[in-house]
Amino acid sequence: MNVWPLQFRKIGENDLLFSDDSGSFFRSDDLFLDRYIQGALTHEDAEFLAYNGQAFETDGDFAFSGFASRWAKRINTAGDLSYFILVPTLRCNLMCDYCQVSRAAENASGFDWDRDTLEQVINLLDKQKANQVKVEFQGGEPLLRLDLLDAIRNFCRSRFEAAEFVVCTNLQTVSEEAWQFLEAPDTHVSTSFDGTSKFHLKQRTKTTTVQRQFEANLDVALTRLGVDRVSALPTIDPSDCPDPAAVIHAFAARSLTSIYLRRINYQGFARKKYGFDSALVDWRQYYRRFIAALIEYNTTADVPMEEYYLTHILRRILQSGHNNHVDLRNPNWLGKDLLVIDFNGQLYPTDEARMVSRIGKIDLSIGSLEDGIDANRVATLNSNVSNFDDPDCVHCAYKAYCGLDPIDDLSRYGRVDLPRHQTDHCKSHLDLFDYAFSLLYSADPTVQKSLAIWIGVPNYNPKIAPRTL
Amino acid sequence: MIDLQLKVDPFPIVEPLVIRLQTVQASRFPAASENDAMLVYHDENIADFDVGGFSLRVHTTDAQSLDGDVVLVTPGRNTLHRLIRASSRHNTLLITEQCDQKCIMCSQPPKKHHTDLFDYFLQAVLLAPAQTTIGLSGGEPLLHKARLFEFLEKAQSARPDIRFHILTNGQHFDKRDRTSLSALNMRSILWGVPIYAANAAAHDQIVVKAGAHKTLQKNLAILGTCGAVLELRTVLLNSNVLHLEDLANHITKHQSFASVWAIMQLENIGYARMNWDREFYDSSFSFVDVAKAIDLATGRGMETLLYNFPLCSVPSEYRRFCVASISDWKQKYLSTCDGCSLRSTCTGFFEWYSENKGFKGIVAQ
Repeated sequence: MNVWPLQFRKIGENDLLFSDDSGSFFRSDDLFLDRYIQGALTHEDAEFLAYNGQAFETDGDFAFSGFASRWAKRINTAGDLSYFILVPTLRCNLMCDYCQVSRAAENASGFDWDRDTLEQVINLLDKQKANQVKVEFQGGEPLLRLDLLDAIRNFCRSRFEAAEFVVCTNLQTVSEEAWQFLEAPDTHVSTSFDGTSKFHLKQRTKTTTVQRQFEANLDVALTRLGVDRVSALPTIDPSDCPDPAAVIHAFAARSLTSIYLRRINYQGFARKKYGFDSALVDWRQYYRRFIAALIEYNTTADVPMEEYYLTHILRRILQSGHNNHVDLRNPNWLGKDLLVIDFNGQLYPTDEARMVSRIGKIDLSIGSLEDGIDANRVATLNSNVSNFDDPDCVHCAYKAYCGLDPIDDLSRYGRVDLPRHQTDHCKSHLDLFDYAFSLLYSADPTVQKSLAIWIGVPNYNPKIAPRTL
Repeated sequence: MIDLQLKVDPFPIVEPLVIRLQTVQASRFPAASENDAMLVYHDENIADFDVGGFSLRVHTTDAQSLDGDVVLVTPGRNTLHRLIRASSRHNTLLITEQCDQKCIMCSQPPKKHHTDLFDYFLQAVLLAPAQTTIGLSGGEPLLHKARLFEFLEKAQSARPDIRFHILTNGQHFDKRDRTSLSALNMRSILWGVPIYAANAAAHDQIVVKAGAHKTLQKNLAILGTCGAVLELRTVLLNSNVLHLEDLANHITKHQSFASVWAIMQLENIGYARMNWDREFYDSSFSFVDVAKAIDLATGRGMETLLYNFPLCSVPSEYRRFCVASISDWKQKYLSTCDGCSLRSTCTGFFEWYSENKGFKGIVAQ
């Protein structure tokens, strides 16, 4: 029998988590590790490994192709360009503490697409091979340029077989015209809501009048568009964070079922104002407290709730094909399936790349509407997007579930070749995977109830997380 | 029950004839070939079609329902076969009645004799409505795989819009078939292959063929590496209910290239009727083992579906896995179903389902 190479990592007090490149994993102990290293696996070990898809008899047999299939299904293939993040204006009518992109004042000039830019964007969209498209309008505050949004949406609807739109808005000032625009069934709203009124006021709206205006608009959005078409994302300051239960109840009160807990991403104004990465430990503690509160909430809630990124992590551990998040996929191809078009016609591979470039730290643009995509720059960025052959990742038990984030590395360290364990991306994801596995192996029925909800099954079957006897 | 065969008056042909019936001038299926036969007269009991100047009299009370149907008329027989019913999603061509397995739940027990009808089936496929899915079943179709591959290649090249759903026991592939398979458009063929347990002995006992499980594993890998779209099918039985959870594990590890895993309730006809008392597992009484299998397979990302399970036989949290899978022509509802709020989405029962030997928990919802 041949055993596929196993990576391992300490999990819990005495146990080890073993995993292979296809993402199959199990929990065992030091004794198993000794037998594995010494080539002294027992008959029972062999049976277990075969059962768990981690061994084969001969090259090409069904266990071999089963493994190959699972391995291949985890690969993020570079798809056709079909996701556009458009920034029709950088102007904004709010000034949040941690603004991501150094927004421009509401009345400033020179921060919007002009007629030519709009035409160039439409030409670019028209040239695509894909027959479906997703367009995310970012800003600034995109609702300040409803006319541009309307033009793009009308074009996409007629050009593509399927088109979907997301407007990332602060919902601060929404005209009746804008509401009518947002009401279309192919259009979604994504807004920021920092968990509770108190924190949203403190971090974003600053005055109770503006705060009330926002909350009223959020309620209108939920009523007029329905909860399925509105998402609200809290940004959390690890050094001053809202009580988890209060956040959960604020979301539940609005029938929102998904919370994407985002740690303040130090970019733009935020990078100047806050410390760099001293807050990671605070964040870990807060995150765990938050999930514990969520699990408690779900034990009795009629409508259960998830934390979006933990759900994503769990699904990436157990299943393949979850490549819809640019922070976590492997290889993390840049400038292929997703393109950001900034207010000035500059092109970026991700929204993060736009933000990093905007603050002048490093230029991660990959071209402009004027000159097209610069293939050399794209190739350079893509030289280090896969963890398959990364000298650190190859030893990691979480390799199959994780991925590289070169943009984050560049933004924080100005380089992509730091030892992984020194990067924020690696540290925070090691921690998230540790936590996710501790949940998967939990015998606590309340934890299992939440896991079932997040994984998308009626009941949690503990055999999904195997262990040797 | 919908008739798949209709009585006809004697018709002067020496070779079997495939024709498409047309009942209205402005048919949805415009006449395109000499195989089209126009309705010239009908009353409450008969319909006369013009077949190249001869009149084909069909005994039917609803002539209009035949519009667009592709039928086979055989010399010396007084019935015609409705090969492709234009108004139905459930059209299956019976390739052969021969089989090398004798599965204890077989709904269509094998026969020795084989008549090769591929040429007529090809003509029929060419006349099928656009975008139709056509089932190919048996018996075991792959027992005649050279003819089958030839048929598929011709059909796909003439009618790339047609999709096929082939039911095969997966016993008859070998590495040399990779060439034939690769020549086909594999994206438009769904291969339905039964697997009853991860445990080889349990599987072999169910299909009554020694070594079947081992061959199946090898051949599923061949299908997988050829990019086959695969539907794994597991009929629920007393013989395998305790194996289901292990099977869920096995499939997610070794056949994760499958598109869907269907767990199916028993159809009480053929061998299944004979073995009913021993093998029918009343999932309305205990669903635990099915549930564990669904939770494991779905949790690992394998789409898992329940075929032939009436909704009330399944706990409410698992009903979203149920598919209305019973073909229209052999589907029925019980008197209990009158007034059930879930009836319109429920698969119902097989025509030959017998209430006193069936589920104990059938209740209107």
